[in-house]
Amino acid sequence: MMPFTATDFLQALAAGILVGGAYALMCIGLGIIFGSMRVINFAQGDFLMLGMYAAFYLTTGFGVLAFLGPYGGPIVAAFLAGPLVFALGWVLHRFIVARVTGAGVAQIEGAGAYGQIIVTLGISLILQNGGLILFGSTPVGIRTPMSRQSWEIGDVLLNQARVVSFLVAVALAAGVYLFLSHTRLGKGLRAAADNPQAAIYMGIDVERAHRIAWSLGVGITAIAGGLVATFQTFQPYSGFDFVIVMYAGVVLGGLGSNFGAFWGGLLIGIVQQMSTLILPYQLQNTAIFVVFLLIIFLRPQGMFGRLSERT
Amino acid sequence: MTKHPTRRGVTAGLALGTLAIPGLGIAAARAQAKPIKIALIAPLSGPWARQGQLMRMGAEMALEEINQKGGIQKLGGAKLELVVADAGDSTEKAKNAAQRLLSQEPDLVGGTGAWLSSFTLSVTEVTERAQLPWLTLSYSDAITNRGFKFVFQTSPTADHQAAETIPTVLKLAEAATGKRPKTIGIIQDNTASPVSFGKQLRDGGLDKAGLKAVVDQVFTPPLSDATPLVDKVRSAKPDFLMLLTSAMPDCKLILEKLDEFKLGKGKIPLIGNGAPFGSPELLKTIGPELLEGLLFSVADWPMKGQEEFIERFKKRTGEPWLTQDSLTAYGDVWIFKEALERAGAADKLKVAEAIRGLNLTEGPAAACFPGPIKFDEKGRRVDVPMIFAQWQKGVPITVYPTDRAQAEPFWLKA
Repeated sequence: MMPFTATDFLQALAAGILVGGAYALMCIGLGIIFGSMRVINFAQGDFLMLGMYAAFYLTTGFGVLAFLGPYGGPIVAAFLAGPLVFALGWVLHRFIVARVTGAGVAQIEGAGAYGQIIVTLGISLILQNGGLILFGSTPVGIRTPMSRQSWEIGDVLLNQARVVSFLVAVALAAGVYLFLSHTRLGKGLRAAADNPQAAIYMGIDVERAHRIAWSLGVGITAIAGGLVATFQTFQPYSGFDFVIVMYAGVVLGGLGSNFGAFWGGLLIGIVQQMSTLILPYQLQNTAIFVVFLLIIFLRPQGMFGRLSERT
Repeated sequence: MTKHPTRRGVTAGLALGTLAIPGLGIAAARAQAKPIKIALIAPLSGPWARQGQLMRMGAEMALEEINQKGGIQKLGGAKLELVVADAGDSTEKAKNAAQRLLSQEPDLVGGTGAWLSSFTLSVTEVTERAQLPWLTLSYSDAITNRGFKFVFQTSPTADHQAAETIPTVLKLAEAATGKRPKTIGIIQDNTASPVSFGKQLRDGGLDKAGLKAVVDQVFTPPLSDATPLVDKVRSAKPDFLMLLTSAMPDCKLILEKLDEFKLGKGKIPLIGNGAPFGSPELLKTIGPELLEGLLFSVADWPMKGQEEFIERFKKRTGEPWLTQDSLTAYGDVWIFKEALERAGAADKLKVAEAIRGLNLTEGPAAACFPGPIKFDEKGRRVDVPMIFAQWQKGVPITVYPTDRAQAEPFWLKA
């Protein structure tokens, strides 16, 4: 006899897909940065946290968007968190990150990787502790009726806040895909990622391309943060909870592949929620890493990565 | 160069003069007696930072009151001084904080902390070796099960709380519905205190109460989504649900999910354990309607007879109500004051000896805790009644034990 019913199965699958949608969006943000700049950004979780607070202050905190109501306000706020954090990312890249990335450090040992690790870790610590000073330690959340209402399909309940966040994630992922593959700027980003030297010869401003990639990456993750804030409470340290998931998703999908980052994030959500059908709840995150190791064992380049991209 | 006093110079001089006045005051106090140092190790960063902040509020308030009333009389009016260290977000950080504090402050006479049982377990490994008397509100029975001589647990242990909580809940349910519950659902996280509580239930506690666990789930915090957890509750439909979670964000996810699955508002009565269930931020994030009727057992909560103190606390801190964390930290500092008066010396060994001999039933320290301040050889308080609080109209108030309750409990029925 199965230890669960068909409803349990469908409910867990639905939860997995919906949770996975938010993860997928975070992973795309991280994936753009890694794919274009080859920078391991330890502060990515903290930009997610900034997105959460930006959305919070726009709705519940200062109430700028209160006039949009408890349904529209939080979603618009999540979108607005993107440009806000994009701007911050732009400044950070201009004055700090650019010093340890790009053509300027290509010749030094490890292509600046050591500096990058320390700089992004430093940014992470400053954002966490600065957040503690600015926002305080009390967990907060955006109050919206969507987080406790659902659409019902038979016995399967789909949480409204999660469904909205999933749809936004899919739309944004499609947008990013179109941007990277069909616009001149997007193609420039990819060229700068594939071969910075050749891209410079082709007249692409690699430094600017990196700045756009970095800011876009943190901005998209911030939107994911704003969406997560509609159903979860958070405080300045919450970003860290998502970092491992984000990295696992990006590596799982294939480093450097934005398409892969989306599927990697989604798969992690599904494994995390569906593992509870047969395994103890405590092993949720262990299950993620079992699947992770299995995929890395069978396909070292990840689900959608190309071997050449790893050289 | 001009010899005239400049405006900036005058301002600086005045400022220095102003600074010097309290400085002189301190110098005078020092001449009387050296301040006596007490430690507070609590999470001031990381997911439990809010709880640490609440503890700090309580401890600082007690300290100020004691010092205003003339400090430690037996020691020439010596003032108390609080040394605070951040336990951070992991057991390693908590232990490091304790080690650093002890090496930097060799003249500590005692301390309190570190909120989360898992942190307290590691902090007390350090304080015990230094023979520093340590008070804690943490619940896990493992804390005082190690044969330590200098750790004093002011809260009833989690297994004791489990043994007390279930019969009280059953009584309340039976009185309200005329039927004794037969099945229970348990959802808990795997931090030390819920583990102790859950262990008591599974190792015979449930059998003794005639209850069958139809849902029994343990998760690792933080929870990403409560859907599969609550789905199990929906399938099994227990007579009531026991929630053992130590972090507020997890409480919120579960409570909202129960409502979404139409199991909230009394469809499945909820019983919690621990202070996070009564936190003001829980009210802020999920609102009063989902909390109404939620009953939780807790080691300490504001009781009848403390009204004046509660008002003072609210005015001082701006908090909407007093919770366990501030209340026990306040009480712990008063326990040290009583012990220091009895010890007659700022010496940690003598203070520990004095704590072992305490039997307080009145005074500010005793008023903070249910039952007398008296410790057994393990360092646990004796004759401690269990407290229950219940959300009633947007405020969690004490409903049990009856003699110190602020309101009557009710069993929420859908």
